[in-house]
Order: sequence, then structure tokens, then C-alpha cells
Amino acid sequence: MKRPFHYTAWAVPLLLLVMLLPFLWLLQMSFKPTDMILEFPPRMVFMPTLEHYRGLWNGEFPASFVNSLVTSTVSTALALLLGVPAAYALSRWSGRGRFGLGLSILLTRMAPPIAFTIPFFLAYRYLGLLDTRTGLIIIYMTFNLPLVIWMMQPFFDAVPASLEEAALMDGAGFPTVFLEIVMPMATAGIAATAILCFLYAWNDFFFALILTRTDARTAPVAVVNFMNYEGWEWGKIAAGGSLVMAPVLVFSLMVRRYLVSGLTAGAVKG
Amino acid sequence: MPAAHALSYEGQRRRFTRWAISPSVILLLLVAGLPTVFLLVTSLTPGTLVQAGSLTDFSEPLGNYRYLMEDKRFHESLLVQARLSVYTVILQVILGTGMAMLVHAGQERWKSLRHLFVIPMVLPPIVVAVIWKLVYTPDISPIFHTAKALGFMLPAFTSNADFALASIVVADTWEWAPFTFLMVLASLQTLPGEYVEAARMDGANGPRIFQHIVLPYIAPVLVVCTLFRVIDSIKAFPLIFLLTGGGPGSVTEVTNYYAYLLAFNYGELGYSSAVTVVLLAFTVVISWLAMRLNGKLQNQE
Repeated sequence: MKRPFHYTAWAVPLLLLVMLLPFLWLLQMSFKPTDMILEFPPRMVFMPTLEHYRGLWNGEFPASFVNSLVTSTVSTALALLLGVPAAYALSRWSGRGRFGLGLSILLTRMAPPIAFTIPFFLAYRYLGLLDTRTGLIIIYMTFNLPLVIWMMQPFFDAVPASLEEAALMDGAGFPTVFLEIVMPMATAGIAATAILCFLYAWNDFFFALILTRTDARTAPVAVVNFMNYEGWEWGKIAAGGSLVMAPVLVFSLMVRRYLVSGLTAGAVKG
Repeated sequence: MPAAHALSYEGQRRRFTRWAISPSVILLLLVAGLPTVFLLVTSLTPGTLVQAGSLTDFSEPLGNYRYLMEDKRFHESLLVQARLSVYTVILQVILGTGMAMLVHAGQERWKSLRHLFVIPMVLPPIVVAVIWKLVYTPDISPIFHTAKALGFMLPAFTSNADFALASIVVADTWEWAPFTFLMVLASLQTLPGEYVEAARMDGANGPRIFQHIVLPYIAPVLVVCTLFRVIDSIKAFPLIFLLTGGGPGSVTEVTNYYAYLLAFNYGELGYSSAVTVVLLAFTVVISWLAMRLNGKLQNQE
């Protein structure tokens, strides 16, 4: 049934615009000259300025951005390194393993972060890991490992065992089979999983707030620090916020197909 | 056949998978299992950071839990949590479903737009909080300017006892309605068109089609969304941290936030652990329920 005109023609874009208004507003504010930010009625047309971004560049923000990049990337790499083989193992070996997987995901994914923070805080204080990137990397890896196992399993399920058997008969050892036959067939899954892990660590605020002070402070925490007692630097807040969300927007478009399974990991399945 | 070999395909694979999984299992026990035990142990002590030895003082192991029973602020926080969860989940499920229906109806035309609806959900939670901080701050928010221009005063939402929780609910709904949207839209796309066509032929109108065909079809997804959002709402933090700080008074102080304040503002690690254990127990029960229900729903299909 083809209709020439349908209410959705205006309703859908209108709804989208209303929904994204607060987000677009933050974005435009980051390019607005300081003296216009508080102006009302708000100016729709203005000469965009990079002064807020330049202001960020000269402060402590770049260091926190680097901290975010390093902790997110390294924790993702480690989680993949450990989790991908584990996911393969579980895919090929159903039984008790699956229950353990379900339980571990359930615990790490569902538990309120504060449940981990108190023990980690005490342990880190003792071990001297407070306010270090290493400390953050460990906790992000902890939370991402079950996600990796969860996400990767279906990809390995899709690799037929007969392929592995054939390669083995040709005399290859199992590690070779895994690296050269199985892994290449799961590349798409690994990429998607890596992005989701990265986003998880990148988006974290809670752990970084508690487990870092200055040296290892991440970008999300740094943005909040622009709201200080001397008055809020709206331009910097908007610019910092925009920078923090930029990689997220790009990456999440790339993995949109896997967003739901990533977000619900362990929520409802064992 | 290589089955005669000392290590067949099966055997080699078994040996390999054992090696592949061990590091993860050990690590998860170490960094996820051990802290849970640690939390339980800490909850049995009067542990604070200022008093040496207090974290290993087990002279009154159940003291914290006894105090929980009479801690008004804790009880209050559970109520706030319940309110927050109920409001946000209901709003998010209804709005998300509505949005999904709308986009589904205009699918061909707006197919590419649907990914943009998901933006609030993928944004870093603290950026979401910053955005709503802007919306709720009188100096800067166009909402307040507009109200003033129209000649009436709006209360400062986040610092007004009557509006503070509502302002959190609105922000949280903005952030997470897209989750229901995404799940319901995916479900609607698998709804066989013939069902709807047949019903329309029989003279059913929109609301009836929704009630008798669409709703039963997406019901399992709605249940999953609800449970998942309930579990997540227990973890609400960045919005409360940035918008209200639990206040004014304690009208937006959910249990999670109370536990945070106890541990990291007041240094009451032992008592905070006890609060957290209760929270954890709640979460495990709800998650278990979610798993059970989802299993049942899948069996029905």
C-alpha cells in the first residue's frame, strides 16, 4: 500500500528534532562566543569560534583526554586478549562452562558499580594503584571481559567445526588452526566487540571519579571539574562535553547492529 | 581416520579450550569474585578510613545490619529508589514504544533516521548529565528565559523539593527511552504483515489492531525492556551526582547514591558495604527473575 502523504512525513523528523534539541544545543554552545552564551533570545546565527576548544587545549584537559584514550584502549585490548579465546572455548564446549559464563556476566554486568568500588578502593590504596591508569585499566578490563565472552560466542558458533577438522588433518596444530582458520572468520565480531568495550570504558564516570584524583583523571571527570566554585565555564563545559562524545557518536554508528546485544549482555540470558 | 591418533580432533580441541579459558576464569574469580567476598567481609566491620584497625574489627559483625534496620535515611533512600524506578521505567517503556510505532509506520521514508534516535542512549552518561544541567540552570536555559519573557517564574527545578526527582526522571527518560525504542522497533520489523492486513480486512481499527495483534506480539520485548531498565535504574548515578547531589534534603537520594556518600564522603566504608550488600542482593534477585521470565517467554514462542 503506497500512500502519497502520511503523517509520519512530518511527525518523525519533528520528534527527532525535539529529542535531539538538548544535544544540539550543547554542540552549538561549544562554538558560541562567550558573551553570546547567556544571551536571550538565543542567537541562531553567529560566527562560530574555536576559542573554547583552544582554551581546553591549553589547560589540563588534553592530559585527561589522553588518560581516557589509554585506559580505554589498553583495557579493551587486554579484555579481547583474554576473552576471545575464552569465548571460543565456551562456544565449542557447552555444559558447565555456560553456567559459569552466565553467572560471571550476571554478577559483573548487573551489580551496582559501588559494590566493586569499595573493595577496589581499599585494595588500590594498599597496592598504591589509586590515581593510576593501571588501576583504571584493571577495573575496565574486569567489566569488559564478560562482555567480550558474551559477544564473541555467537561468532564462533558460526564457524563450522568441519573446517577445523580439515586443517588438523592437514597437520596443523590447534593453536595454528585457531589463529589462522577460526580467528579470521570472526574478525567482524572482534571489531564490533572491541568498539563496544572501548565505549564502555570511555563512557565510565563512576570508577574514574572515585579511583582517580589528578594524574589519571579521565575526560568525563575533567568536564565536570569545569563546574567549580569560581563559576561555571559554560563554553569549556560545552566544548569538553562535545569532545568526550565525539568518538562515541562515530563508533556507535559503526556498531549499531550490535548495540542491543552489547547493552543487554547478561541481562536476560544465561 | 585420525581418530586412531593419541589425540583426535576432539582431544586436541579439548586440550586447547582448557588453555583458552583458564586465564579468564582465574581473572574473573580474582577481580570479580574476590571483591564480592571482600565486600561481604567489610560489611561486618565498623570500618572507616580514619580509624586504624577498624576494617579488621569483627567484634560486632552484625552491627551494621542492625543499624540498617533503624536508619531512616536508608529507608528513605529505598523509597526514593522505588519512585525513581517506577516512574522512569513506565515512561521509558511507553514513550519508547510510541516512538517505535511512529518510526515503524513511516519506515520506508525514514529508515536512515532511526539510528539518530539512539543518540541519547550512547552518549557518555556524564555528558547526558551535563546537557540536562544546562537545561535546568536558570541563567543559561532558554526554558527559564522563555518563561520570564512570558511573564511567569519557573521554580529552579533541581533545587526545588517538589521538582527535583521529576527533573531526574525526565532526564533519565530522555536518555533511556531510545533503548525501548530500539528493542520494540526490532520486534515490530519481524511482525508478519499478513496479521495486520487480515485484521484490517476484518474491519479492525488502529487501536484494536494494536491491542490484539501488535501488543501481544511485542509483549515479551516489553517485559525484557522493563526488567533491564529496572536493574539499570538501581545504578543511577551521574544524573543525580551532577543535577541534584541527592538533594534538596534527600528527596533524590537513591540507595546507590547514599552508599556512595557513606563511603566516599563520610568515609564509612563498613556501613556503606552493608548498604551495598543489600543493594546487591536486590539486584541479584531481580536479575534472576529476569532470567527466569525470559526463559519462560522464549519457551512459549
